[in-house]
Amino acid sequence: MDAAYNLARWLVRDDHDAQDVVQEAYLRAFRFAPGFRGGDPRAWILAIVRNTAFSWLRRNRGADPPTEFDEQVHGGSTEEHSMEADAVRKADAATIREALEQLPDDFREIIVMRDIEDLSYKEIASTIDVPIGTVMSRLARARGKLARSLKERIAKER
Amino acid sequence: MNCDDARVLMHAFLDDELDLSTAVEFERHLAGCPKCTGEYEAMAAMRARLKDESFRFEAPPALKEKIRRAIPASSPSRAGGYFSRREGWAPRALRIAVPLAVGALLAIVLVPRAILPTANENIASEVVASHVRSLMASHLMDVASTDQHTVKPWFNGKLDFSPPVNDFAKEGFPLVGGRLDYIGSRPVAALVYQHGKHVINVFMWPSAGDTTSAERIETEHGYNVEQMIVAGMNCWVVSDLNQAELDKFAGLIRARG
Repeated sequence: MDAAYNLARWLVRDDHDAQDVVQEAYLRAFRFAPGFRGGDPRAWILAIVRNTAFSWLRRNRGADPPTEFDEQVHGGSTEEHSMEADAVRKADAATIREALEQLPDDFREIIVMRDIEDLSYKEIASTIDVPIGTVMSRLARARGKLARSLKERIAKER
Repeated sequence: MNCDDARVLMHAFLDDELDLSTAVEFERHLAGCPKCTGEYEAMAAMRARLKDESFRFEAPPALKEKIRRAIPASSPSRAGGYFSRREGWAPRALRIAVPLAVGALLAIVLVPRAILPTANENIASEVVASHVRSLMASHLMDVASTDQHTVKPWFNGKLDFSPPVNDFAKEGFPLVGGRLDYIGSRPVAALVYQHGKHVINVFMWPSAGDTTSAERIETEHGYNVEQMIVAGMNCWVVSDLNQAELDKFAGLIRARG
């Protein structure tokens, strides 16, 4: 259940709301138990948590602005990368948390599932229902965007 | 491999999701590309930072308790209504599927991390990956010596155990050196032997208790892998050598261990 709560908590960004989402998701999962056709039970429950969280977000906060496409995998100079590495190492936990919270939903969730929850690409692919190649490319864009965001935050602090 | 590919593949490499040959290709690209190396370092640093447990929210105990209590209590009435409607057209399938799904669900409620790959499969892949990397990245040896009395003391102070080191030159498998490696989240001894043009890597670390010589033979990515326990050491032998000759070599290690 920690995995379910962790994902919900990062998606809705509030403890109380996350608890509601997890509870609703588990009740739904139980009600729709016949829909479970084997496969990975963890991915199955996380997919329900995720759907519950997204409908909760739409109901209560309106849809997120669609993801901009400026974070297509685009180059970046060697100096920029070394500044990013520097920022990633220097940033305190609060700055990292804030930067992650402000990523678009589909970027945030994939980093949470891979880097915090330690799911395999296959588990992520079956949770969010996309091909494994999409998991990899989206993760690449998400991490790139997070690194740039940290770099900008650290630069502002000075 | 061009930079665009490398910039996406570096993530799968970091996450240990690349197959061996692509991983080697990626490492080769990285070695000649400072720009991708810079980005790789930033991404590796980020991955390391995010591993910190403080980023992982734990479900409050009260929530766990609430759900545990809610599920068994609410299931008969909810489930009953749902199932009786369906009873007419798929009763048998549901009778099988429902307990299955409920069981799975309870497993998730009660056992948060139920799915783990078997440790030995992971180690076999790691051992083969280390073997290939030792050949590709021209980092076969930290200490190059055919003398077992040079190689064995070299490990002193670098490891918290002393691996058995023997030279089998007379039998056609000369010792050529040793190095430190890292398998299964711990530093291990790697001994390098040669047979004709074939390189054999032997990885050793203290076994967790089992002292009988349990043997496992498998083939991974065309490499032969043998595992055994020799003198209290977990011992993995990897090579592109054919099975019969590798068996012979493993027999030598067992006999001398």
